[in-house]
Amino acid sequence: MSAVLHAPPVTLLPWLVAAWLFGIGLYGIVTSRHYVHLIGCLGVVQASTYVLLLAVGYRWNATAPIFYSHPPGRAVDPVVQALVLTDIVIGVTVTALLLALVLQLHKRKGTLDPERVRPMQP
Amino acid sequence: MSPRLRRLLFLACCALVLPAVLHVAAHMPRFGDHSMPYGDLINAVALAERHTTNMVSAINFDYRGFDTLGEEMMLLCAVGGATVLLRGSRGETESEPQRVPGRPIIARADSTVLASRLFGAVVILFGLYVVLHAMTTPGGGFQGGAIIASGLLCVFLGEGYPGWRRVAPSELFDALEGGGAALYALCGFASLVMGLPFLQNMLPFGQKGDLFSGGLMQFENAGVGAAVTGGFVILLIEFLEETREPVPDGDEEGDDP
Amino acid sequence: MTLQQMAVLPVAIPLLSAALILATAPILPRRMPDVLAILIALCCAGLCGFLADRSAAGPIVTWFGGWTPRGGQPIGIAFVVTPAGGWIAAFIAALFAATLVFSWGFFEKTSAHFHLLMLLFMAGQIGFCLTHDLFNLFVWFELMSVAAFALTGYALRSSALSGALNFTVVNTIGAYLILAGIGLAYSRTGALDFAGIARGVSASPGDPVVVASFCLLSTGLLIKGAQVPFQFWLPDAHSVAHSPVSVIFSGAMVAIALFGIAELYWAVFASAPVVHALMHGLLLGMGTASAALGGVMALLQRHVKRLLAFSTISHAGIMLIGFALLDRQGVSGALVYLVGHGLVKGSLFMGAGILLARLGGADEIGLRGAGRQIWPAGVAIGAGGLLLAGLPLGVMDAGLERIWDAARLAGCWPAEIAICAGLVCTGAAVLRVTGRVFAGLGPVPGEEERSPTEDEREDADRPLWLMLLPVAALLVLAVPLRHDADRIGWLAAQALMAPQTNAILGMGRLHAIVPPPWRVAPHSVLPWIATAAAILVAALQLFWHRLPCPLAHGFDRFAAPALRGLSALQSGRVADYVAWLTAGLALFGVAASFG
Repeated sequence: MSAVLHAPPVTLLPWLVAAWLFGIGLYGIVTSRHYVHLIGCLGVVQASTYVLLLAVGYRWNATAPIFYSHPPGRAVDPVVQALVLTDIVIGVTVTALLLALVLQLHKRKGTLDPERVRPMQP
Repeated sequence: MSPRLRRLLFLACCALVLPAVLHVAAHMPRFGDHSMPYGDLINAVALAERHTTNMVSAINFDYRGFDTLGEEMMLLCAVGGATVLLRGSRGETESEPQRVPGRPIIARADSTVLASRLFGAVVILFGLYVVLHAMTTPGGGFQGGAIIASGLLCVFLGEGYPGWRRVAPSELFDALEGGGAALYALCGFASLVMGLPFLQNMLPFGQKGDLFSGGLMQFENAGVGAAVTGGFVILLIEFLEETREPVPDGDEEGDDP
Repeated sequence: MTLQQMAVLPVAIPLLSAALILATAPILPRRMPDVLAILIALCCAGLCGFLADRSAAGPIVTWFGGWTPRGGQPIGIAFVVTPAGGWIAAFIAALFAATLVFSWGFFEKTSAHFHLLMLLFMAGQIGFCLTHDLFNLFVWFELMSVAAFALTGYALRSSALSGALNFTVVNTIGAYLILAGIGLAYSRTGALDFAGIARGVSASPGDPVVVASFCLLSTGLLIKGAQVPFQFWLPDAHSVAHSPVSVIFSGAMVAIALFGIAELYWAVFASAPVVHALMHGLLLGMGTASAALGGVMALLQRHVKRLLAFSTISHAGIMLIGFALLDRQGVSGALVYLVGHGLVKGSLFMGAGILLARLGGADEIGLRGAGRQIWPAGVAIGAGGLLLAGLPLGVMDAGLERIWDAARLAGCWPAEIAICAGLVCTGAAVLRVTGRVFAGLGPVPGEEERSPTEDEREDADRPLWLMLLPVAALLVLAVPLRHDADRIGWLAAQALMAPQTNAILGMGRLHAIVPPPWRVAPHSVLPWIATAAAILVAALQLFWHRLPCPLAHGFDRFAAPALRGLSALQSGRVADYVAWLTAGLALFGVAASFG
């Protein structure tokens, strides 16, 4: 714990933001009363992975990894940016699927309260 | 579990995890100031080896091109799944689910129609621009494909549902999506046929910073662009079907193309 | 074509054909996707088997795009075929082939989409087994997840839709946990290849970031592997999906997630002492709890597919015990058990599918005595039940004997008891179903015992022999291959536990995989006892109403409330499941702090 207190705050901030987003997203899911809201919370959970990955690849005083107008030099990590691009596509695909499921469920049950649409419950 | 109990359980668990989270955060590499051997290596060599100035595209389509193939297939999978889920029920008779109470399609103001026509064309052009400039500046098939699809959505805004269905027949976009993904996979098989490892770039790389640099990557990028455009348009088609006004019994299939 | 080039094909061929099927769906002849998918699955099974066989002479390493490591720094993605990953991939493809035969003509209306999803599902699982790159592993993991989500909702009944929603939400959180774990591993080691990360891990084995990375990765995989307390989504999803889909879910998807944990442990994290302690402590405990809990819950079910789903949790727990003992005997046993269980559980889910197609339901009580005219299915389900209970015959038993032996030698008595409980309860549950449905045993149900579930008849327009053919094929495969499977498992355990890290990074030569001398799997008396106990428990449950009154009364008074409490945990609310998931994360956090 002592290491926490001595480190300069800004170096911890991105990691704590990522953890906070993950936690608050889960909290939203746990307390959600509407499936569309719940899907939004899942997006918040996912946002924490963006923050984490991009923070891992960040570098002070460096340029973007695009060497069109200037020669290769001190740039941030392009690998995590490529990973985040994949991550975004995953988020989009899963959200589309979830919304399709939710839409169908709404037609059949007329409600999207997670309390009231439970599988295999009499 | 009651909502109250559940919330208590969740908060108690968070309290238990918190020390571990702080401990790990304190031991993370220093933010913005630590070694990045993988990224630095690619930043150093990719321009010379592949003549592309956009390092992210070089990774997405070449160094780690196989990930992108998998990701493309994920899109195919999700779009196929959503199509089945949405389309399946419209033709279903088993439990006869009712259509969502339709949102009436309000007559559009002339200014909306004009703005949609103008913006639609501009957005589609911009999407093509983003797809084409994948190798040089930020952009690529994913971003561009998504932009093109949203440009097509302007047709729905401006022309309404019938106009939208005229420009977006689902067979065409299914073929575009499948064909784009197949093109990406075929790039890999082309390398195999030439006796090289899967997805090895064997075309001339072109001029550094040129629109047509990067060799095989251009075809992969085009494949991604086509697949993303097709996939997103299919999603839009299927979701927009759901907003249609319920038609009176009898002429249910009347305006289906 | 070299072996290295060939190693790509089991993934690339299904991917390409799925894309082509989608592009040409309107002009394909009606039965074409069926035929194509079966041929592709068979072809992939053959390819994987061939590659796995050849890899005994040394892992087959192929770098995509020709990007071999530079000075020990990997810059591309590798597939590494070893006897472990290779044979499991071959088994998966074979299971897919059998399932596709079983589902011949099942999905008339949207046929091409079903085959598109199934082919991508298979490619994802095979890629998951063969890849040697952490992010690539995540891509295949997510591909198979997305296919699984869509296939679960495919049935389009409201219970299927809400089951698919629970499945999707919980597993997607798992995927983000894995991604966070990848981020942590990358931040510390600057690599994504297993061998590259392993080098970084062994340079700083005590680093909390490394431990956290393992915790996040294994939590994500344990969610997919349905281990306590992450298991709640599984019964909801497996029991509502169409039965051909459930075959793959239970037979392959859950088990390979656990294989993924084992692979990550030895290929990446083995040099970290805290991770070793977590694996041998917490994960062993989770496996033990799952084996026991899954068994007890299976006994309480009356819906046949739900019952089988709980039994999958139990048997996956037994597999996790095998891996978490971190002992050669246990690991080879778990690998063999994975295949044996997949074959048996696959045939049982097909059996449930036959009930749904022929008898129009899967409610055990409602179907009492209704199965007499399809007695061959009863023979198959009964045989499956006996094999689940541990009947000492065939592949599953070979694996079980080794896991059991390893647990006994490690002096891990809770695991031994849990294994026994899992075998007896799951076997008894299936035997009870057989007795009631096919022999008409047990009391005549009263009016108030009607099934609470909705109509879920599956397409009946298929000949019985066509559905029985793959069931029989799987059961026949599960029996005589005992010795071969055991020998391969022994070799595969060596490949899994001694990865050739430096050679894969291009520093040194790949060498043949030479395990210590192989001994025939031990024979113990346990399987006989478990089988006998399972038959006894099944009989007790069937003839409960004839028992002397005080005995039954005592049970109802003391045990029944506890069992009701257990059932109430399975509430169907996704929020509860996520709260339990957080509890699992807390367990990891606490265990890692004290480990």
